[in-house]
Amino acid sequence: MTKTLKDLRPVYVVGVGWHRYQPLSETSYVTLALKAIRDALADAGIPWPEIESAYVAKALLPMAPGRPILRHLGASGIELIHVENASASGSAAFRKACIEVASGVTDVALAVGVNKPRGAGPNPRAERMTGIDSIADDAIAPFTHFALLGDQYAQRWGVPHEDIARVGVKNHANGARNPNAQRQQARTLEEILGGRPVAGKLTTLQCTPVGEGAAAVIVMSEDAIRRLGVGSDKPVRVTGSAARSQRVYDAMLTAETTQIVLKEAGLRPDQIDVVELHDAFTVEELEYVEAMGLCAPGQAVHLLKDGAWDIGGKCAVSPSGGLIAMGHPIGPTGIGQIGEITLQLRGAAGERQQPGARIGLAHMVGIGAVCYVHTLQRD
Amino acid sequence: MESRKPALYTVPLESGSSVPHLKGGRCSCGYVFFPMQTFGCERCGATGSSLQAQLLEGRGCLVSSARVLMHAADNRKPPFAVATVKLDSGPVLRTLFADYTEESLRVGTRVQACLVEVARSDSGDPIGELRFTPSPEDTNKA
Repeated sequence: MTKTLKDLRPVYVVGVGWHRYQPLSETSYVTLALKAIRDALADAGIPWPEIESAYVAKALLPMAPGRPILRHLGASGIELIHVENASASGSAAFRKACIEVASGVTDVALAVGVNKPRGAGPNPRAERMTGIDSIADDAIAPFTHFALLGDQYAQRWGVPHEDIARVGVKNHANGARNPNAQRQQARTLEEILGGRPVAGKLTTLQCTPVGEGAAAVIVMSEDAIRRLGVGSDKPVRVTGSAARSQRVYDAMLTAETTQIVLKEAGLRPDQIDVVELHDAFTVEELEYVEAMGLCAPGQAVHLLKDGAWDIGGKCAVSPSGGLIAMGHPIGPTGIGQIGEITLQLRGAAGERQQPGARIGLAHMVGIGAVCYVHTLQRD
Repeated sequence: MESRKPALYTVPLESGSSVPHLKGGRCSCGYVFFPMQTFGCERCGATGSSLQAQLLEGRGCLVSSARVLMHAADNRKPPFAVATVKLDSGPVLRTLFADYTEESLRVGTRVQACLVEVARSDSGDPIGELRFTPSPEDTNKA
């Protein structure tokens, strides 16, 4: 018999930290990652030597950035492993850290994501090196893929593209309240629609900016929380973790993965107070909230316009600003989502606080073919 | 006309259909795929003689389309139009449209493959790139 996270011993997020997501700069990736790790350690109130294993999520940085980062925290001899899973690198690192602690192999684990973009031009992908050619995949950048999905969604539900763009209004407003967001400026619908057209009806302000940054979380067992005297206001329990790949795609993959994690955690979609999801492009948020069961298919736009997904609404979606405003440095993004949910469930999210948030869900997709969903709950 | 990617598609066959064919495959499990490959069936994992080459007629339905106005790679200059097409034989593929138009096309529009001259060979023959275009017989074009 296999076990789920909930069958194992409880695991908690106890520390979170970021380096602000930002456009490519001269700042060393070491500086980015150390800021996030040291902030997470300070948040948990523990010193570096208490960390027993480190999962370093990367995407576009070359091989093995973990060593040049972690050496500056003092050599403690711990296991160091790198995780690359495209956009879901950080989510994968977090899942593995949680499973390791829940299994009892370690008591305290770190998941840190860091990234530097490569500059201009498309990022190389192994998928283009298989020897199997394609008719026109060279013509279809990620934003074009989502412009195609946007056309399909708009026609299927008779939704005007102007309404899809309203996701951007909400998420830019949330990002404007987040000191770690790459984009911190509220935008009107007119500004978003009037931006530079990219593909289909997408404009640049409806697309995530891929920049640099770092995010770190520390996960711990109950034993360690007691032994290290972690403050009672810090721990948020990870109650579910699921990951799926490429049997189905896009919204169906999100639906499949979310159903697994909700069953594991014993939760219903309507119980979720706060969601961080992969809104790299505006249409994605609408497709995913429907796929997660937060509303009926085709209803996401109506609820968006009613404020249901606002902070203070039925379920705050992307209160961090999401990928559209918080940004998407790729390696850190999934870990940053866990950090935001943790702050929300602690009631420590400041002016972004979803009132009374007790149950949160983090969702990430990568390379269009992998999906991770985690649930977190305040005891 | 010569095919720009002869491993992927033919020029229109002399007998039968007037549209280019796509070089796909069929697994013994029934799964039809494009393009042909021998790494293993994406549905059941079968290899070897279970995977047989099969020509797929370049006809299908539009799943979605988009006009591309920004493109980082310098191999194609925007604007151009792309589409997702579900072939009548089953596979879903992504392709360029033959003509750039500002008009949105209705999902479900009948489409068919065609070759658009993109270059000339050393011997001066036209080289055709596979694209899709609305089928003349479709009466539901937007």
